[in-house]
Amino acid sequence: MTYSEVFKDHLANPRGAGEIPNADVVVEQTNPICGDSLRLSLKLRGDRIEQARFLAYGCAPTLACGSVLTEILEGMSKADAVRLTRQDIIQKLGGLPARKRHAPALAIETLRAAIELLDRKVD
Amino acid sequence: MRRVYLDHSATTPADRRVVEAMLPYLMERFGNASSVHHFGQDARAAVDRARREVAALIGARPNEMVFLSGGTEANNLAIRGIAEHSEAHGRHIITSQIEHSAVSGVCEALENKGWEITRLPVYEDGIVRLEDVRDAIRDDTVLISIMLANNEIGTIQPIAGIGALVLAQRGQGRRHLRFHTDAVQAAGRVPLNVETLGCDLLSLSAHKMYAPKGIGALYIRRGVRLVTLNVGGHQERERRAGTESVASIVAFGAAAELARTEMTDRGDQVQRLRDRFEAGVKSTVEEIVFNGHRTKRLPHLSNISFRYIEGEGLLINLDLQGIAVSTGSACSSGSLEPSPVIRAIGRSDELARGSIRFSFGKDNTDEDVDYVLEVLPRAVENLRRLSPLYQKALADRTSQPLQVVVPN
Repeated sequence: MTYSEVFKDHLANPRGAGEIPNADVVVEQTNPICGDSLRLSLKLRGDRIEQARFLAYGCAPTLACGSVLTEILEGMSKADAVRLTRQDIIQKLGGLPARKRHAPALAIETLRAAIELLDRKVD
Repeated sequence: MRRVYLDHSATTPADRRVVEAMLPYLMERFGNASSVHHFGQDARAAVDRARREVAALIGARPNEMVFLSGGTEANNLAIRGIAEHSEAHGRHIITSQIEHSAVSGVCEALENKGWEITRLPVYEDGIVRLEDVRDAIRDDTVLISIMLANNEIGTIQPIAGIGALVLAQRGQGRRHLRFHTDAVQAAGRVPLNVETLGCDLLSLSAHKMYAPKGIGALYIRRGVRLVTLNVGGHQERERRAGTESVASIVAFGAAAELARTEMTDRGDQVQRLRDRFEAGVKSTVEEIVFNGHRTKRLPHLSNISFRYIEGEGLLINLDLQGIAVSTGSACSSGSLEPSPVIRAIGRSDELARGSIRFSFGKDNTDEDVDYVLEVLPRAVENLRRLSPLYQKALADRTSQPLQVVVPN
């Protein structure tokens, strides 16, 4: 199995690791099949994601997807964030082996759960 | 970047002396060992010399050794060969829960064909109990296949005890009971003698003892009959058809001779490094669990579970810093379940996923250990900082003191 250089760099130097103390939303999702989990916390300013942080437990792609997700999210509008797909994450990571697609799936699922929670709060 | 190879249980580099011994047999001494002319007889003599050396490594007679492609083929020939040959006497096989996939996979395949397989437990120390073996033997048991030393945690199984048990059972009328042991990890690392072990079949692989890949051997005790898998040639006394890979066999012979003559020195060296490494990890990384019996194990191997993190992330982080290890995490193996071996010794899924195998070799140095001890604690710490499990544990810290778990 080969991982891209970008992927390895995310693993060696994770971006956005941790948790925001006074976050607007914190969501943790677990993949019921493999047990991988991703925790995402977001701080918003208006409609824009000002800060994104992640914690992750699981295989290397799960960690790398958490890292790349926070990198993509910072500065992005909520409306754009909700449109992100697995493919966007895979692309940004320089590709992923086919059987590792569960990791970006978990990242997107966690992101959507976070935005849904945010929307519910606003309502 | 400094490179430290700590994955000698996966494979070893070919020793220069081994490669030098084999090279002539790829070029000017290229004969087919079955040919009658000078070239053929030269190759035949080389194969015979190598056979004596490989046999000497395990105290066998040369004509009890069958050369083949490696450990997996040896295990296939042993288990399938005995199973098919003994089918009329019974269809029950006893094995353990921690066999290498080259044994467990063959057993599964037989199970799918209607054979009954008993997989013995190993308990927290990673060792099969003689009583369990004895209790599992039935009138229709035709084969016991238990590995000599485990490939993930290095634990050494009571093979001589099982051998004696099998001999006694045969004396009591179970004439068709055979005993096979997969010695791929143990051979060349600890002294072995088939007479002391009392096994009927024993699998060997050359590339775990500083020879190239693609060559191995099966010891078949004189008088033991089995059905061959390869037919179509008379090689290896009709037990493995196919032109002998002369150069590889010569390499195997040279490697076996070196392993036999240098075994004590190599064993002392790797054990000293391994023990220093383990002491260093114990004093610098908290919340770890050492896997496998502390003393009844191979001298070169250390298996440690790092709580709260997944092995694959740690493996890649170490690799990026030049350190090669392997892991029991599911992600790396391509399966969904983490290491069955670590689960079989009663560890949780999390500990199985966080297990790393460090296996030392004869060319590792103290500087290698120093470097790993410098890199590893930081890598673990970095991954733990990302782990939601660790963050939760930190929050609970006051109630549960942290500790290192060492079995036995």
